[in-house]
Amino acid sequence: MSRFAGIPIRVEPPEPIDGLGGGVRAILHEIVTLLDRLASANEPAAIDLRSLPMSPADRIELRHALGSGEVRATLNAEGASTIQETHIPGVWWIEHRDLQDQLIAELIDITLVPDILARDREEIAEGMRTLREQLASTAALAPDPGGNRAGRQ
Amino acid sequence: MPDGSEDLTVGEMLRRHGISRRGFIKFCTAAASAMALPPAMGAAMAAQLRDARRPSVVYLSFQECTGCLESLTRSFAPTIENLIFNIISLDYDDTLMAAAGDAAEAARDQAMQANFGKYVLIVDGSVPTGAGGGYCTSGGKSAVDTLREAAKGAAAIVCVGTCAAFGGIPLADPNPTEAWSVAAIVAGKPIINISGCPPIPEVITGTLLQFVTTGKIPDLDEHLRPKVFFGNTIHDRCYRRPFYDQGKFAKSFDDEGARNGWCLYELGCKGPTTSNACATLKWNGGTSFPIESGHGCLGCSEPGFWDKGSFYSALSAAVWGKAGETSPKQSLQIAGAAVVAGAAIGAASAGVARARQSRQEHQHNSDEPKGG
Amino acid sequence: MDLLSLARGPLLKVAIVVFCVGVTWRIVGFALLRIRRDYNEPRASLLKSAGKGLLAVGTRSWPHPEFIARTGAGEALGYSYHIGLFALVLLFTPHILFLHSLFGVSWSGLPSGIITVISVLTLTLFLAVLFRRVTNPVMRLLSNFDDYFSWFITMLVIVSGLAATAHVGGRYETLLGLHILSFDVLLIWFPFGKLMHAFYIFPSRAINGSLLARKGAVS
Repeated sequence: MSRFAGIPIRVEPPEPIDGLGGGVRAILHEIVTLLDRLASANEPAAIDLRSLPMSPADRIELRHALGSGEVRATLNAEGASTIQETHIPGVWWIEHRDLQDQLIAELIDITLVPDILARDREEIAEGMRTLREQLASTAALAPDPGGNRAGRQ
Repeated sequence: MPDGSEDLTVGEMLRRHGISRRGFIKFCTAAASAMALPPAMGAAMAAQLRDARRPSVVYLSFQECTGCLESLTRSFAPTIENLIFNIISLDYDDTLMAAAGDAAEAARDQAMQANFGKYVLIVDGSVPTGAGGGYCTSGGKSAVDTLREAAKGAAAIVCVGTCAAFGGIPLADPNPTEAWSVAAIVAGKPIINISGCPPIPEVITGTLLQFVTTGKIPDLDEHLRPKVFFGNTIHDRCYRRPFYDQGKFAKSFDDEGARNGWCLYELGCKGPTTSNACATLKWNGGTSFPIESGHGCLGCSEPGFWDKGSFYSALSAAVWGKAGETSPKQSLQIAGAAVVAGAAIGAASAGVARARQSRQEHQHNSDEPKGG
Repeated sequence: MDLLSLARGPLLKVAIVVFCVGVTWRIVGFALLRIRRDYNEPRASLLKSAGKGLLAVGTRSWPHPEFIARTGAGEALGYSYHIGLFALVLLFTPHILFLHSLFGVSWSGLPSGIITVISVLTLTLFLAVLFRRVTNPVMRLLSNFDDYFSWFITMLVIVSGLAATAHVGGRYETLLGLHILSFDVLLIWFPFGKLMHAFYIFPSRAINGSLLARKGAVS
């Protein structure tokens, strides 16, 4: 009988405390790991939700667990995309849709700000050119108050 | 098509078509997801491609129905998949290009020469060799000759559709035009088969995108199909699978069972023997696929699928002839004839045995000791 | 032609022909043999002995009480796997579809989960049967190629069928092709070996029973 006393016992809670299924818990654990990497090594990461076998119920659970944060952005480029900050800072839920509103990609981005929201230098230069042209064309129509604008070209 | 845009980078081409950098990143992210690559690859792909010169692509169509090209280009509204046409420089496609005749052919030859060794050759349709190749000619040249010549300078050959990959419907019994697959005619060049009748558009664009981005041939199965899309059978990913495992089969089209999601095995589904991505990627932008719409899989991405028995007889059914299935009448006739033959042989052998029996008995009788 | 098309196409045709020719040959061949004329006085009329003969088909299904201790276990084992085989051959839907494609007949099958259980049980019994044949000294002495090969080919059909349904051990077409191919070989082998007992036991018991009844003996 002493042999049985030597077997270690592990207590398992009868039901998940916050009502989460195993699959969702696994994803959340992974997010914790990735957040750690982001905080310590400044390495962003992403989880492709389409590659994970999730039932509709799991998906709802995951949404519920992550909640929503302060920022919600809509990106209109070849269809609408939603970038929703979750209530965990650094965790963003991104849904990409095409022009027919079909979901083409869904991912959880672990980063300070999702890269897709930012612009790159080329686009800034392009924007500068566009704005200059705009000013030039409106300058031709508006009365010239001091002539300063005409100098900048 | 030669329109002065050949020297533009991918990024410049996209800008010309009003597609933003972010839109392109979206497309690449979706493509990476479809190919089971990490999402970060999407942005990396987009960044890499934007500064790249658009690879030259020559699209040759032979003995085909144009379904494969339609699959790629037609949709209810322009889809993000069509972006592939901005990434590549489609220097020749006789269905899509505006030019025709000698001018178009000359443009093709020029593009092939200018990009010799570097262009991607896409082929759809099988290649007939009968009548000296005369069953499929364009501009006086046979398909066989055109293919052989175009293959010389190709970096890789992508066979779109079951006809180009395996011979398809022209190769089906009795193959009157002596049609062959591209792989049967061209040797010594890397070949990627994207089979399907037609293939799923995302599979075509995903494979092209991967090749164009990495410059490497993806992992291929024994039929030279990209494993990332053709690595699983329909059966492996079918949502009706639990019902197959339980033995719940629909008995007729759209009956109660079928509408409750029961397996379509009895209705002739070839899912277990067919490798394709239909069950996961689905068709029409993820709307549905044949099994979900209640019809069994035809097996259209497999070689010789036209000759593998009826689409409506179960996989476990006997399949005696290439053209046409076994019929009970035929098999009963054969079995009946065999029984008659057996009976005749049996009677003959019984006759021999009886003769021997008589001889033995006669001998036994004559050997018996006389008297008590 | 690939394995599957060959197995369920021309080879199946050949197998069915060989089976039909062979089985009919053997049955007709023995049915037309002469029975040695019995000059003894019959203890029972022709009708009665024929009736007793037919009864014998049933009564010989189980050993006499004196022998049960020695052979009961073996008999039970045999019956069990026979019942298992009949169940999974005739009540598994893909098999029913196979027979339907050949002969136009059809009936409803059992749920596949039950068939899987029956198949695994039958497989286990089959292994037990071989074990008995090899370890029992009398059986080992009596066993010949016919016994072992008939066992082997039937086993191959069962194993390949289980592998195909479970999708383990290779691509489905290969497994299905192997399953049908082994069935073809079984059909071809059938008329040449002990598997003919499927047809022989009935006339054999009936004739022996009626002959014994004619002599007034208990069968």
